[in-house]
Amino acid sequence: MNALRNRTARPGAQRHPDDPCPPPTTGRPGSTKTRLVRLGWSLVLWLCLFAFGASAEPAGDAGDEQLAEAAADRHACLRCHAMSSLAYRDPETSEIIDLSIDRDGLAHSVHGELACIDCHRRSYRRYPHPDRPAPGDMDCIGCHEGDDQNLSRGWVDIDAEFKRSVHAVSDSPKAAGFSCHSCHDPHRFRPAAVGEPLAQIVRNHNGVCLSCHKRLVSPSSTSHDWLPNRDAHWTSVRCVDCHTPVADFANHEILPAEKSEKNCVSCHSADPQLLARLYHFQSEEDIARRGLLAKAVFNEAYVVGMSKSPALDRLSLAIMGLMVLLLAAHGVGRYLARRANRRA
Amino acid sequence: MNAFDKILLTPKNARRLLVTVAVGLLVLLMLYKAVYPILFDTYVGKSNAPLTYANSQPISEKELEAMATELSLNARRAAAEAIVGQDANAFARRVKVEMLMNTQSFMREHEPTHIKYFRDANILQYEGPKTCLQCHATIQVRHHDGRTSEVDTLDDIVNSVHFKFQSDGGGGFSTYGYDGRRVNAEGSRPIPVGKINRACGIPGSFSWTGWAALVESRPESAHGEVALRSEGCGQCHIGGNYQPATEKMMPIGDVPDVAKEGIDCLICHSTEYDMNQRYVIRDDVGLRWNQDRTMRAALTVGRSTTKNCLNCHQHNMGGDAYLHNEAAKALGEKHQRLLHTGAKRGNPFSPQDDLHAAAGLQCTDCHVPEGHKIPRGRMGVDLVANDLPDVEVSCVTCHSTAPHNRSKHKALLNGHLDRIACETCHIRALQDNNVVLRDWVHPTWDAEEGIFTPTDIYRSGEVNKGFTFLWFNGNGTFLANALGNNPNGSTEYDPLMQQLVRIEDPEILAAVREQAIELKKTYPDIDVDAYVEAATDPLSQLTPEQLDERRRMLDQNLRAHMNDGESRIYPFKLFNAMMYEDMGNQGPFGAMILPFDYATYYETGDTAASVKQAIRDPIVQRMYQEPFKRYMMDEFMAYFGVSGGWKTDYPLVDGELNNVEPKWMRQMGSLMVNHGIQPVGRDCVECHSPSGILNYRALGYSQERAAELENLDIVENLRPAASLSATDGG
Repeated sequence: MNALRNRTARPGAQRHPDDPCPPPTTGRPGSTKTRLVRLGWSLVLWLCLFAFGASAEPAGDAGDEQLAEAAADRHACLRCHAMSSLAYRDPETSEIIDLSIDRDGLAHSVHGELACIDCHRRSYRRYPHPDRPAPGDMDCIGCHEGDDQNLSRGWVDIDAEFKRSVHAVSDSPKAAGFSCHSCHDPHRFRPAAVGEPLAQIVRNHNGVCLSCHKRLVSPSSTSHDWLPNRDAHWTSVRCVDCHTPVADFANHEILPAEKSEKNCVSCHSADPQLLARLYHFQSEEDIARRGLLAKAVFNEAYVVGMSKSPALDRLSLAIMGLMVLLLAAHGVGRYLARRANRRA
Repeated sequence: MNAFDKILLTPKNARRLLVTVAVGLLVLLMLYKAVYPILFDTYVGKSNAPLTYANSQPISEKELEAMATELSLNARRAAAEAIVGQDANAFARRVKVEMLMNTQSFMREHEPTHIKYFRDANILQYEGPKTCLQCHATIQVRHHDGRTSEVDTLDDIVNSVHFKFQSDGGGGFSTYGYDGRRVNAEGSRPIPVGKINRACGIPGSFSWTGWAALVESRPESAHGEVALRSEGCGQCHIGGNYQPATEKMMPIGDVPDVAKEGIDCLICHSTEYDMNQRYVIRDDVGLRWNQDRTMRAALTVGRSTTKNCLNCHQHNMGGDAYLHNEAAKALGEKHQRLLHTGAKRGNPFSPQDDLHAAAGLQCTDCHVPEGHKIPRGRMGVDLVANDLPDVEVSCVTCHSTAPHNRSKHKALLNGHLDRIACETCHIRALQDNNVVLRDWVHPTWDAEEGIFTPTDIYRSGEVNKGFTFLWFNGNGTFLANALGNNPNGSTEYDPLMQQLVRIEDPEILAAVREQAIELKKTYPDIDVDAYVEAATDPLSQLTPEQLDERRRMLDQNLRAHMNDGESRIYPFKLFNAMMYEDMGNQGPFGAMILPFDYATYYETGDTAASVKQAIRDPIVQRMYQEPFKRYMMDEFMAYFGVSGGWKTDYPLVDGELNNVEPKWMRQMGSLMVNHGIQPVGRDCVECHSPSGILNYRALGYSQERAAELENLDIVENLRPAASLSATDGG
């Protein structure tokens, strides 16, 4: 089981929490430092990927057997829990509590190869199930604690960050019982993949926040009105990019509104903090797909830098190219003219 | 500017031009208003004339007051009894009712509202729509999207399905022709869709040829004396005319004003409407349906209640023979209506057999009208007209997607909504007299009624006998077959080659054989084996080429529409009938069905003569001519799966039927059943056991999955609690 856990846990430890949500504003506005951090993280990523590939093989027969066992266990549970309408109405609140699990979502999640009883008590294997989970069931840190000795920032840190976050410290009754699962659905959780379209990542992450903070996006909402182009920001920046501490890399420490980032220059500058956060995903993608040269030319690593419009970028590049051509033509013309003159 | 323009633009010429155009338009309008209706009536052989009703009599003011007092008392008594109905002691109940009835606020609240209006307006005679429209010329309509608008009342009703029984445009559900095209999809040539032009196996006739008939019956009790009985489609439709609203089928033209005067407002709006006034009358022009136009009915007018709807609709839900069909107990003060003893759906809406009716819900609570347009929901297989095709009527609208609240296993039960329609568990059986197989061709003498009636070869309300379960995504075929597929994308689920074309239950086979043997006594020509085969395996009537073509059309034309959307398992009432068919217009899914003339049929039992009589009707003759072919029938046949267009060879030549054969429809029709909802759903093991009611393999599940569904280990754990779930009213 450890092998399995390692596998699934490590990519999670990488810090782009992905589907789920909350987060941070990280990064350090500093530039070289940011780049270094970024480099460090991508190194970690590669290491993880490597570990992932490596761990599967040595597992061998025993691993296969475990996998098969886990698959059988999942199959048994999903007979019911894959029914999309598996739900009931809470007698207290009258709200519909959804018990269904998306089969594909689970399969693609970091926990996709675990057996259900790895997290849920064995007694859940039988129906009817116990009324409520026992203490210690479904405890993320409990499973993941040992995963990250080698990481600079691990589950214990995340736990600490979370405990400082507004979700944990708020007295609001709505925040009562807030836990990892409130944002991270363990049945879907999957780190954002490098190369995934940024818009998709933004949508996924913000979707988690908005599943509770619904009123924010109602048509009559005046929230975030101070922000120019509010809706554009909402579709291209994650909530956590501003709502976690700018200075520290503490993306589980969600800040209350008044402490959140309001300084435009943090992002809109030549060396923005977003580089270390959201655009992190894109940089990797750029490197992989278009190479460093393209990146340098198009300036896309630059977050929302000077020109936010790819069309403008292309246009200026085209003008530049034209200029070069003109210059070259001019040069050639002069050269030819001169040669002709000389001959004459 | 050229010379022509110059000439044209001189003031004199311009004026001339204007006058010419105006006169031209006026002439066209005249032709349309005056000449076209006459030509049209002549063409289709229908008549219109002013309509009078004997019971539309003026009363004196004194009579009005006496009537008002009585009606007011009745209304108060009914309301009071409903309130104190719980008290066990009869005497105490009576005293309480009396007290309540004489309480001032109660009296004010429960007096029929129109008594005051009629008194104030001095209305002493009810003359049909004319009377209503004096005040209700227009009505406010609230639309489902929240808009409100003011509409012309008469227009609204005339263009509703209740009057014209057809709708144009989309016509409702997503009905697909066997040629794979959606009926009346954008870009296709629209055809009228509805009961008006469909010969249906259950009523056995077109509304054109079967609108109103007076049948001479010879009931046993009368010892050979003739008793006139009423029959026909018009008994359940609000037009009081000599014909259905045929004019509405055409691209231009409207129903004449005299026909609109025959609209029966009160059958839907009066609580005291007397169904005994509903019978066929004959006048100088022809046969038509009488209606209740008494002041008594008019004084109790109001919003439509369940009682009003059931005046007609219990006929096709519970059936005429249903014990609690109130309308069927008032058959007419003369020319009594003939009862149809076999039920069309067999799922009644009544407090005794439907939980929603018992809870006092009104039909319009779910079928929320927009003015006079009433929605049927977005799902349906029967290609019947639909006024509001986009309006949803469904259980989850009220019950949400988590309807089970009491059972310990509520989440599991709710989980089933994903695959199973509510009706699948909450309709446990249909009425016993639900007709499955009906032979129109070999009628049986009904001595009690003194008429020949079609022979019901098999009736049953039992699960997998009278109805079965099919995947359904809301789409249907042109001949009422539910479309849908197992969400696993099965290619084995194939209802039009399996569930709907094969009866294999030995009990049904034995019952059919027994009936065939019985029929043979009257009809010696019947070959019992062949008869049983055709009735229970209708595809045996097709040639191998036709079978191949059927297979091809199913795969190429319908498969995609089966896979559309989200399918769930629904219960479907099954139905097939043997009728006369025009074999010149035959395809792999059936041939054009020919109607019966009711009087000939019931009186003589000579079915061939009855068909001959019916198809002599001018409109059927027109159907076999070029204009109808081009306007409608070619398109109709294409949807029907008949290639090469409509053949206009009139099936009656020199007084003999030509190329006409008695046949069973090539597949059973499947009708949705949605009423008769029981509070107690099915038990788990009714489906989840090897002998369960769901045939998982036939429903397209793999062998392994079917085995798993049949042998769920957890079902055993549920046993004690399942009875608990059974008490779950949701």
